[in-house]
Amino acid sequence: MGKEKYEESSSDEEVNSSSDVVEASSDEEVESSSDEVEASSDDVESSEDESSSDNEKVEESDSSEDEVAPRNTVGDIPLVEWHKDEEHIGYDIKGRKIMKQPRKDKLASFIEGADDPKNWRKIYDEYNDEEIELTKDEIKIIQRVISGRTPHAEVNPYEDYVDWFEYEDKGHPLSNAPEPKRRFIPSKWEQKRVANLVRKIRAGLIKVSDQHKEEEHNVYSLWTDDTDSVENKKHGGYVPAPKPKLPGHEEAYNPPVEYIPTAEEINSYELMYEEDRPKFIPRRYLNYRSVPAYDKGVKESFDRCLDQYLCPRTRKKRINIDPESLKPKLPSRKDLRPYPTTCYLEYRGHMGPVNCISVDPSGQWLASGSTDGTARVWEIETGRCLKIWEVGEVARQICWNPSPDRPILAVVLEYDVLLLNSGMGDIDIQTKMKELLHISEPGATEDAGDSKSAVTWIQHEKHDGIRMKHFKAVLSIEWHFKGDYFTTVVPSGDSKAILLHQLSKKHSETPFRKLGIPVTAVFHPSKKKFFVATKKFVHVYDLSKVEKIQKLETGVREISSISIHPGGENIIVGSKEGKMCWFDLELSTRPYKTLKVHSKDITRVTFHRTYPLFASASDDCTAYVFHSTVYSDLNQNPLIVPLEILRGHKPEHGRGVLDCKYHPRQPWLFTAGADSIIKLYCH
Amino acid sequence: MEPNGSGSDASRQVQARFVTRLPPPLRVPPASMAVPSHLTRFGLSDIVNLLLKNSDPDHENQPFDFLIDGELVRMQLDEFLIAKGISAEKVLELEYVKAVAPRKQEDPRPHDDWVSAVDGSNSSFILTGCYDTFVRIWKSGDVSECTHVLEGHTGAITSAKFIDIRGVENEQNFHLVTGSKDRLLRLWKCDAAKRRGDPIRVGAYKILAGHTSSVQSVSVNPSREMICSGSWDCSIKLWDVKESEEDGDGTTISLKKRKVNSKTKESVDARLEGAATSTLVGHTQCVSVATWPDPDVLYSASWDHSVRQWDVPSGKETWTMVCGKALNCLDIGGEGSALVAAGGSDPVLRIWDPRKPGSLAPIFQYSSHSSWISACKWHPRSWFHLLSASYDGKVMLWDLRTAWPLAVMESHQDKVLCADWWKDDSVVSGGADSKLCITSGIEIQ
Repeated sequence: MGKEKYEESSSDEEVNSSSDVVEASSDEEVESSSDEVEASSDDVESSEDESSSDNEKVEESDSSEDEVAPRNTVGDIPLVEWHKDEEHIGYDIKGRKIMKQPRKDKLASFIEGADDPKNWRKIYDEYNDEEIELTKDEIKIIQRVISGRTPHAEVNPYEDYVDWFEYEDKGHPLSNAPEPKRRFIPSKWEQKRVANLVRKIRAGLIKVSDQHKEEEHNVYSLWTDDTDSVENKKHGGYVPAPKPKLPGHEEAYNPPVEYIPTAEEINSYELMYEEDRPKFIPRRYLNYRSVPAYDKGVKESFDRCLDQYLCPRTRKKRINIDPESLKPKLPSRKDLRPYPTTCYLEYRGHMGPVNCISVDPSGQWLASGSTDGTARVWEIETGRCLKIWEVGEVARQICWNPSPDRPILAVVLEYDVLLLNSGMGDIDIQTKMKELLHISEPGATEDAGDSKSAVTWIQHEKHDGIRMKHFKAVLSIEWHFKGDYFTTVVPSGDSKAILLHQLSKKHSETPFRKLGIPVTAVFHPSKKKFFVATKKFVHVYDLSKVEKIQKLETGVREISSISIHPGGENIIVGSKEGKMCWFDLELSTRPYKTLKVHSKDITRVTFHRTYPLFASASDDCTAYVFHSTVYSDLNQNPLIVPLEILRGHKPEHGRGVLDCKYHPRQPWLFTAGADSIIKLYCH
Repeated sequence: MEPNGSGSDASRQVQARFVTRLPPPLRVPPASMAVPSHLTRFGLSDIVNLLLKNSDPDHENQPFDFLIDGELVRMQLDEFLIAKGISAEKVLELEYVKAVAPRKQEDPRPHDDWVSAVDGSNSSFILTGCYDTFVRIWKSGDVSECTHVLEGHTGAITSAKFIDIRGVENEQNFHLVTGSKDRLLRLWKCDAAKRRGDPIRVGAYKILAGHTSSVQSVSVNPSREMICSGSWDCSIKLWDVKESEEDGDGTTISLKKRKVNSKTKESVDARLEGAATSTLVGHTQCVSVATWPDPDVLYSASWDHSVRQWDVPSGKETWTMVCGKALNCLDIGGEGSALVAAGGSDPVLRIWDPRKPGSLAPIFQYSSHSSWISACKWHPRSWFHLLSASYDGKVMLWDLRTAWPLAVMESHQDKVLCADWWKDDSVVSGGADSKLCITSGIEIQ
């Protein structure tokens, strides 16, 4: 009756799943227990009597193959579905059909199920296409599995631990001998040794390091690429050969069009250096077989071989510094305005190179001296030439008296210095100047002490001034800031090389005796100091004591010009090789900064009187304008910023700009050129 | 926009209406019309002339200038609209005015030396100062005719001004003042009566001494009774000329007598010398210009980079503006006679508005010159027009309504040192080429 039972209820799935469990658990079931089950369950046995008995056997144990063959011979396939339209479910060993269990209609099975009290134990085994009835034990196992416990009730997962080995009160040591005496006596030799070590440590003969040095491992990684490792770098060892470039698309026999160089590009390769030229020029071929042999192949592999084993490789340290960060932080030029930038006015009229210029202290007039034998005065505002003195010789230097009520011009000729009345200023000044520039007794001007006078003061009739006749060629002249004293430099004058003159007394003296060949001499702008530049040094003298205070080492080959900062503590020196040195007298006797700016001789360096500017003029036809802030704080170094290169003069006989001077009150620069033009650069 | 102007730039059109403030014969019908947008002012001018010819066959073609929203059109119409952000969809209102351009270049009046001062405030005479220390008066007319030569200065003339215009209008007497680099100002009077032959030589009737350095500029106050002068000695001096006029009436020193005086300068007759009534001190460098546009207000510009406004009765500074450049010229004019135009040691002509509070930035900057600006003058009547002269040899006419010069006059071969308006429609300028150039025919409404 069990085989008739078939139920296709909704709870089938659950039951099926539980039957799977049963199957799975059946493997685990101990054979002994299976007997037990069989024995205990009468229901099952009763069913076994009937046709399903052999199936039950299969269910119970796998080992009982010999008893009954399983009904299923086709394997684990969805039997119900696939054999839906067949009447059999496979074939047995003899080739006969294994017929399906007869199907019951739902009503019949329901009625049967309602009648049968064991119906709830029956499930349908799809695998074998039969109905089976579960035993009570199996139900129990299923229930235990569902509730998450061990399937068999007899298994106790928490058994008490049984200590199999006894160890208490079982004392039988290996040797029962008493402890030897030596175990209790400290070793004399060890004690001596320790004492010795202690003594040595205390004496410092042995150094005890706290850190325990780890033993160096004597193993190394065989397969890692250790070219970059610290070890390899430390020994400067192995440097792998550079890898050859792998072929890319351009080496293809028919590369894409963008790889093919155009005719212009190929032509441009011809202009390149041999090294820079690309080694391989991509070309297109119609097919692979028309690609010719690579003609440079052998040579290239030979080169590579040579490169690999002959070329010495060294590891070069590349310094990874941004070049921008190395530049000193300079303020922007815009913030340093005003400074001269553009030439707006030209003063034309000289017939030869303009050697020297000088601006009158009020800033209204400009004086210039030229090789054409004239000295001129110009009106700065309009560029008009107001006055011309025919001095007849090359005017080497010209200098306005810095005192505003003494409009006197000093002009240096070959051996003479002319003191000229410029004719500026009102009537009172003019009458005073006439008196000042008048020498009553021509003979009485000889200095009494010296047998051979260095200077003779003579009245100059033609130009209504004073002519100071020097015994040797005069190179430069400079006024004292008060306008009474001035100095002239006679380079070949030996002990009388530097002369000091007093205008009001018409008197000259030579206070500085032992000197080299002086180049130029200037007064300190406010103190009683005096600067003499020889070819390589600048000497600083104290005028009141007539003694040397400082000697500045310029390090240049030949000084051409010096200028003192209006503050008096900084000097710039221009040299004939185009170098300019900035000295800070407080700081050192060596240059604070050396600027190599010009390619030819520097002819003149000059400071601005009020603006923080200085400039240099050179024979390379340029004038440079610099900004220079001098701080009153002694700890702060002067700030020097190059601002502008002023061009415009044309070279003449290898000479360029011969002189440059700042306007005393405006940020304007005058430059005198060998092309006989004076230019005014304005801001 | 016309629908037929499909795409191509040349055929794009703008609806425009021409309006004007010119008198009726020059008015066109106010109807709006489509004009090609690529036209410049010349094309627009042709259109207006065509329209005028339609209504009046006798009309003679003349150039016009066009204003859109108070700004002169100086490029193609469409570019202008884009630059100014004006919609091309609306009907444009194009105001046209007569184009301001010099039409006639008169013969230059030759001088013996650089012409450094010129005054054109008199309609029939021009006053020029020259580096040869002489001041000349030129009569207007086609023939260059120098009527008077004023002798006496010992240095280059820097400035020369007519004091009393009324007198001259009646052709009675000239009353003049001149400043020179010889540190003196001289007052002159001469008869304007016509005379044939050689120019009359005149001497000064009064010498104003006081400056210790070159006098750079002289200016007369509106009441014609006071003058002010700026000098290289950093001061501005005010002089009373009303008194001296009475003093010197009819006692014009003969040339001979004056020469005697100049030889013995110490004993100059006290009657001849005038002293300053007051001195304005404040500038730290050469006062290059001082002008006196208002009875109480005086303006000065200096090489110390500042423009200062002075209150004359108190002698105090009321406004200072630092511009960063040494200034050579200054003029007050324009809107409400309040704008300050100044130029100096750079090629930029700047215009400030002192009424604007808080800001000292120039409201206009014109930088077409290539060298220092030596002179700038507002047109005596127009609010918009001014001229500037520069060391690059050019005199330029400016209109405040455009950034480009209206006209560039290149009549000089060398630096232009001075320039002025004359008779409202001419520009007189003197320069380092020793010529006084007169450019006339500049019509300004």
